[in-house]
Amino acid sequence: MFPFSKKKNNSNPNDEPEKVTIYKEIDKNEEYTKKIFSADINKDFTFRTLTANYCQKKTYIFFYSSIVNSEKIYNGIVRPLLEADGKTINNIITIESLTEIKSFDKVFDQINSGKAVVFIDGETTAYSVDVADFQARKVGKAENERSVKGPKEAFTESIGVNVSLLRKRFHNQKLIAQTMLVGSRSKLEVSVMYVSDLVDQEILRNLQKRIESLSVDNISTIELLEQYLEERPYSLFPTILYTERPDYAAQFIEDGYIVLIMDNSSAALILPATFWSFFHSPEDRYSRFLFGNFTRLLRMLAFAITILSSATYIAVTNFHSEMIPPDLLLSITSARERVPIPLFLEVIIMEIAFELIRESGLRIPNPLGPTIGIVGALIIGQAAVEAGIISPIIVIVAALSGLTSFSIANTSLNHSVRISRFLFIISASLFGMLSLVGALVLWVFYMSSVKSFGVSYFAPLSPKYKSTGDMYFRNIIKHEFWRPGQVNPTDKTKKNPNNKGDSTNEKNKFKS
Amino acid sequence: MKQLHLGSLILFTILLAGCYDRTELEEQSYVIAIGVDLTDKNGLYKITFQIANPEVGTSMTGSGPDEPPRETVTVEGTDIISATATANSFVSKELKLDHTKVLVLSEKFARSGDLLRAIQVSSRTKQIRGGVQIIVSKEKARDFIDNNNPKMETRPHKYYQVMLNRASEIGIIPNTDIHRFFQITEGDADLFLAPYASTEIDEKPKENGTEDGYIAGEVPQEGGSRSQFMGSAVFKEGKMIDVLTGAETRIAQTLDNTIDLSDIYSTYEDPVDPNYRVAGAFAKKQNTAIKIDYKENGTTKIDVTVPFEMEIFAIPSLTNYSQNAKNREKLRKSIEDSLTKAAEDLVKKSQEKYETEPFYWSLYVRNNFKTIQEYEKADWNKKIFPHADITITYRLETLEFGKMIDDTHLNEVRD
Amino acid sequence: MKKTSLKARELFAILTITVGFKLADTTASNYAQEGKNAFWLMPIVSFLIMIPSLLLLMYLLKKYKNKNLIQLIKKILGKHVGLFVSLIIFLVAYSLLIVDARNYADQIKILYFPESPTPIIQMIFLIVIFYGAKRGLQSIGTSTYITLPYLKISIILLALLIAQSIVWLRIFPIFGDGLGVLLLEGARRGSIFADLFIVTIAYTAFSNSKAFSKGLIFGSLFSWIEITIFFLLYTTVFDYNSIDKRAFLFHDITQYVNFGVFFTNVETFFMVFWLGAAFLRFIILIYLVSWILGETLNLDEFEPLIFPLTFFVFPLSLIAENTITNELSFRNNLFTIATPIFIFMPILLWIVAKSKGELKKI
Repeated sequence: MFPFSKKKNNSNPNDEPEKVTIYKEIDKNEEYTKKIFSADINKDFTFRTLTANYCQKKTYIFFYSSIVNSEKIYNGIVRPLLEADGKTINNIITIESLTEIKSFDKVFDQINSGKAVVFIDGETTAYSVDVADFQARKVGKAENERSVKGPKEAFTESIGVNVSLLRKRFHNQKLIAQTMLVGSRSKLEVSVMYVSDLVDQEILRNLQKRIESLSVDNISTIELLEQYLEERPYSLFPTILYTERPDYAAQFIEDGYIVLIMDNSSAALILPATFWSFFHSPEDRYSRFLFGNFTRLLRMLAFAITILSSATYIAVTNFHSEMIPPDLLLSITSARERVPIPLFLEVIIMEIAFELIRESGLRIPNPLGPTIGIVGALIIGQAAVEAGIISPIIVIVAALSGLTSFSIANTSLNHSVRISRFLFIISASLFGMLSLVGALVLWVFYMSSVKSFGVSYFAPLSPKYKSTGDMYFRNIIKHEFWRPGQVNPTDKTKKNPNNKGDSTNEKNKFKS
Repeated sequence: MKQLHLGSLILFTILLAGCYDRTELEEQSYVIAIGVDLTDKNGLYKITFQIANPEVGTSMTGSGPDEPPRETVTVEGTDIISATATANSFVSKELKLDHTKVLVLSEKFARSGDLLRAIQVSSRTKQIRGGVQIIVSKEKARDFIDNNNPKMETRPHKYYQVMLNRASEIGIIPNTDIHRFFQITEGDADLFLAPYASTEIDEKPKENGTEDGYIAGEVPQEGGSRSQFMGSAVFKEGKMIDVLTGAETRIAQTLDNTIDLSDIYSTYEDPVDPNYRVAGAFAKKQNTAIKIDYKENGTTKIDVTVPFEMEIFAIPSLTNYSQNAKNREKLRKSIEDSLTKAAEDLVKKSQEKYETEPFYWSLYVRNNFKTIQEYEKADWNKKIFPHADITITYRLETLEFGKMIDDTHLNEVRD
Repeated sequence: MKKTSLKARELFAILTITVGFKLADTTASNYAQEGKNAFWLMPIVSFLIMIPSLLLLMYLLKKYKNKNLIQLIKKILGKHVGLFVSLIIFLVAYSLLIVDARNYADQIKILYFPESPTPIIQMIFLIVIFYGAKRGLQSIGTSTYITLPYLKISIILLALLIAQSIVWLRIFPIFGDGLGVLLLEGARRGSIFADLFIVTIAYTAFSNSKAFSKGLIFGSLFSWIEITIFFLLYTTVFDYNSIDKRAFLFHDITQYVNFGVFFTNVETFFMVFWLGAAFLRFIILIYLVSWILGETLNLDEFEPLIFPLTFFVFPLSLIAENTITNELSFRNNLFTIATPIFIFMPILLWIVAKSKGELKKI
């Protein structure tokens, strides 16, 4: 951090080969390529020499053996070159993609991203053949955003698979998967997916510019990309929605949002995001109207409890004891009689303890998992109370506020909420309700000033936009007529409001 | 980074040192009842605080079972708030009055007329709320609080809460709090009724036949707690002037629309067999209709109709009222008459003895005036009410007989 | 000032907080001093006397398009007179704010933090207000709108709870100390609706002028009805002899109600919402006042003014010795001064505009 060094290291190792075009002499090409890839020590850098049948010239094939499909190389490149007869290489290598390249920097990029590059003696053009076969996990179940009702698939660490997961959910020729490259040393693909006749061009352009202007050596995952893209890195609230569920991402795509997926990342970024998109869970829509909204109600309650229960407890007991009903007051007091530390510390200790259990539970190796629960519950819950270090009511309060925090399923918002909780606890212990309410007001003000790609955090509640009305509670699916206006979709109508779009007449037949 | 450390250090010091109004729960003790007695000196009162002991009555381990559930302390002071400070010279914890349930005034104190002075403080601070109940005790407030030793409810606040609620529900004491005291006393037109209680029970109970013609201390009782709540103390202009019996208190409440009454259990003379009495529950479902025909010069006419319902639950004489229309009519009339008579007696008493009424009727004359000056000039409690011509009607709307169609026929049983 | 995407609903929320919220502060007891049990009729008078001027101002704003209050004044009255009038408006608005701020700090102190010194409470109050106002108009509108339902629910709950302690006949004698007193004193306090005029400084910032008019009309009507209903509640709960003795009628009521037998002391519950509304109210006011000053002095950016203006509330509000002098002398006099200013300002503007012949041109 200190001192602020303004010096920038501008020397880039990739600068040099950019200018180098492919030589006519194949040996020069070979030598240069090998040098760049340090072929003598780089074990999986492989090359093969052969004489092409069709032109009877010496041919080199370069690739990384670890990221290509060797069978494809054999059947798609080596065999045709050795056996087939034809006029140009296009007729010989019949594999799906064959790209001509003229300069070495492209050659390196291609090899790095799993292509095989073919040099032919006497030609200043090299050919890159897509034989990439990166190892990736199979499509698995969503681990962190689970659902009872609804699809179970999750994104996996391969961009191709992820694009396919989204495409299979939205069959439309206007669904664009625009590829952009990020990183200057290791170039990785980012796929910007959107429906071209829905998306707001301004937001899209803004995003593209942000991605283009990234000047970093390497952005290896989408989680890092998220932090590069967001507007206020110090902000308490997330502004880009992160999800591992393709079905959730697809829902947003068809509303005119933009989804980013990236190689090596088993998640997608959705933007612009509002408070509501973090607060909702895809299952709210999959469940029936009443059930989904019941869940929403519970989540709102949990949200309030997790943010405010400990803080309110401190404020009320330390500053406004008259508020507690006498029976409860007397039992809290009697429990506190033998506790050696102030109530504020009690709460802080328990809250921190809970966070610690949670954190270690997350990091603990799987086989040890169950122990953490037992040890945590035993030590914190019972022993501490019996030893008289804390009063039993604090255990209830802390456990409640801790447990309810889990109902905020979104990992980003979850953290915001947990940190906010501590802020409120501290403010409550300063001046009771006065400072607590003050902090709460500022918190709301702060939240409503947050913007994600120009979209207000609380839109469409305020500022108001035409939308599905899916905020605190969701509407009946049939009555969702409008796309969310805050993202300014080109086609605002989701469904014609005059046409209920259902078979009401058909249903009425059975009603009576 | 250094600044950050310093900042958090300061923050924690502030947090731990506590800010002005922060008090830990265990550093406070909670006053449940306040008693006020007179002393010899003018303007100085004996103030009693009953403090709840939080450790009794909880399931917490290690609490001393020998500790009493309450502690009672008395100090001298000019008002309640400053007395809490004096009390702290020997009570270790800060006294909090927020949870006070009752304010006990000794009858002597109440009659001295100093009441307004002593409890004025309650409207100036917020510790004593408008919802606190006023009780007038026959004996010294300190004795009343001391003797109040309920057997079943160990926690004192619970006791007062339950006791007062129940007693006022059945109507033998009025349900009146400080808020009402101020409205009526400051309104300076009507009488304020406060529950009357005593823990000194007369050894020779008065024999007067009915179950509610008593005032506290006179009810014959065996076993149970030694405190009785019965009847009401009558306050005129903040000064106690008389005591009403339980029966009169009930009647007064039926005539007042600003008090919520639930069922009042009471007995009435059996019109067919005067040796027995009929027991029933009186319920007022509709408001009492009070019509005041105000005449500036001349006698004001007040016409009061009390519609009520009655559910008979005991007919010891075993007379057939439920099916015999003639008997039923008799009973109806007898009940109406007895109530009307009792009410008329009470009204007469208040007209002649008190010169104003405890029914909050002054409200009904107000719409005859456009301004406060006119109203005050007309003077309800000196000019209008004492000379008014008052007619009272109790109208029995429905008469129910419980779930039995007929009683057991005694003569048949004794065959 | 850049446009925001605020619409009628946000203005409605802003007005219900700044104006309607006066039902819960000492305004009620200020009125009750003169009106006694009929003081609930006085806001009606106060409102009716202000409404023609307000409508006239709205008409002028609409005619001149894209001008906010101060720009309008300057445009019509010219540079120097305009500056003078604008300064007066600023001073009145700022003094109203200062007196109110002291008032709120006192209420908090007396009722909930008896041992804390007023300056400390005032400081916390102002810190929150400063940081809130810093967030800008869009944020203010959004936050106010989002929190409004909760604040209103608490108020409605209170009204329902107190309903059982109401004695309707206490509204009689209907005219209290006399109709003349009601009319005169009610009219004198017209400036409790001064915020309706002050808020027109934000005229151009709203998404369109139609939304602004809609929000202003509904907001002011709602606040007015709300205030009247609550004053009526106070009258019927406290009798004519008690009502002028209480300084904080709202808090007296919250202390009196209970949620059944178990929750008997629930005033802190209502206090939370009340406090939230108080914070919002002052955030809005300080923002608007800073804006007025910024516009008066022709500053491009007025937001740097928020800090000094918030800061000076602190010493200035502590001038009054106690809450009673603050309310009954300072605030009362201010009402008397402010009312004619707000009544005649639009009329003056209209006359000048008319004589210049500008109204026809546009």
